[in-house]
Amino acid sequence: MSVKYVPVQWNRNKWMYDGFLLVGVGLFLGFFLHIRPDFLSGNDPRINAQILNARAFGVCAFLMLSIILSIGPLARLDPRFSALLYNRRHFGVMTAAVALTHFGFILNWYFAFSKSNKYEALLFANTNYGQIAGFPFEMFGLFALICLLILSTTSHDFWLKFLTAPVWKRLHYLIYPAYAAVVAHVALGMLQDASGNVFPALFVVAALIVAGLHVAAFVHDRRHGDPVAEPVAEGWFRICKASDIREGRARIGLLPNGERVAVFRQDDKLSAISNACAHQNGPLGEGRIVDCLVTCPWHGFNYDVRSGRSPAPFTEKIPTYNLKVHDAEVYVDPNANEPGTYVEPVEVPPLEGEA
Amino acid sequence: MSTAELIFVLVKAWLVTGAFVSVIFLTIGIDQIDEDAQDAYVFRPLLVPAILLIWPLVLWRWYVLKTGRDNPMSRFHPVRKAHDVVAVMLAAAIIAALVAGFSVRQTWPADADPVQLSEKSESSK
Repeated sequence: MSVKYVPVQWNRNKWMYDGFLLVGVGLFLGFFLHIRPDFLSGNDPRINAQILNARAFGVCAFLMLSIILSIGPLARLDPRFSALLYNRRHFGVMTAAVALTHFGFILNWYFAFSKSNKYEALLFANTNYGQIAGFPFEMFGLFALICLLILSTTSHDFWLKFLTAPVWKRLHYLIYPAYAAVVAHVALGMLQDASGNVFPALFVVAALIVAGLHVAAFVHDRRHGDPVAEPVAEGWFRICKASDIREGRARIGLLPNGERVAVFRQDDKLSAISNACAHQNGPLGEGRIVDCLVTCPWHGFNYDVRSGRSPAPFTEKIPTYNLKVHDAEVYVDPNANEPGTYVEPVEVPPLEGEA
Repeated sequence: MSTAELIFVLVKAWLVTGAFVSVIFLTIGIDQIDEDAQDAYVFRPLLVPAILLIWPLVLWRWYVLKTGRDNPMSRFHPVRKAHDVVAVMLAAAIIAALVAGFSVRQTWPADADPVQLSEKSESSK
């Protein structure tokens, strides 16, 4: 949460997260470059230091990208993994840096001795796009690198606010074609080197885990998605029974216009806010109320559920909804109030066992 | 001019235009459309690489915000529906790439003489 932008919003947790990442990358590269270089070279004497560096950084970037792409579906399958979403953008920026280093080693070895500009050489060295064997797999890598650079350079919170979270998310969907391109880049590139089995095994397992997790999350969402709110008279929509909402928690309802509303119980009073956090549209309804404020499970943004406002000095606001309780059933008006509009909470009977 | 040279020239033109947009946006535009950026200068150089890459998007959002055409409620419509399609397409693309890679993978000894699979490049013809 910010009032004025700063270059990087580091705190103790993020320093630790980034420190672990750096150490992990260093250990990975050290292992493949100095302890077991044969894993990537197959003891082939033609694999010199420049090529080995390129391969080590490439493998590292691929595995980092695989981990990043696994976090999202894992968090949807089990909310306990949501903590891994925290600071994932720093993970992405570091991955782009590792991928760029891989690109540098490749460009300055395979294309550096051309009479032409090395960037042009990369484009014309192989133009056999009509065949699988010998396909210019470098283009898949180049496409993925451009995607990663767009994602990493737009990771600052300014871009979220400037573009809006939905546009920013759409832009960051580039991670999916980028990963598919990386898999194709490796499958038609380094996988064709038949001199070792360690990397091919690592590559296939990582790629299949990413694919499997995404399919599993898709199936999970189909079975356990947020319930659709039921329309009743006078434009109100039924969300649930008041007794279904636990103290400090919410029930989420999908409204006909596609918006999701989160109805919270706080001190036996109900309040309804948008389920989308103003920051990255994280699912506020999966958060819980602490000291009168709901905390977004993705990045910890806080909102007063009565007004949809972040506590001062922060300025984030989300829409609120009017609600009513009739015969112990909770109804919501689907027409959201302007972000930050205070709505008087509706009192409900205490939950059994907590009265 | 070869195709590669043409692409390279277009890329340079794109980046130069982005540099021009970033100078104008970061000195004039950003203060007009984001109150959190006012009196905050140290973070601005960090935005330059992104503007070089996505400057048309920057110009569009600048125009929308500056002319008051922004719908504040649009910020709260997460793009969750597309997620299902993307997840399945990603899995399919990964499988397709793996199948393609293994279908042409060669199993001869590592010390075999290399075979030219593709045609010679433009420069070596």
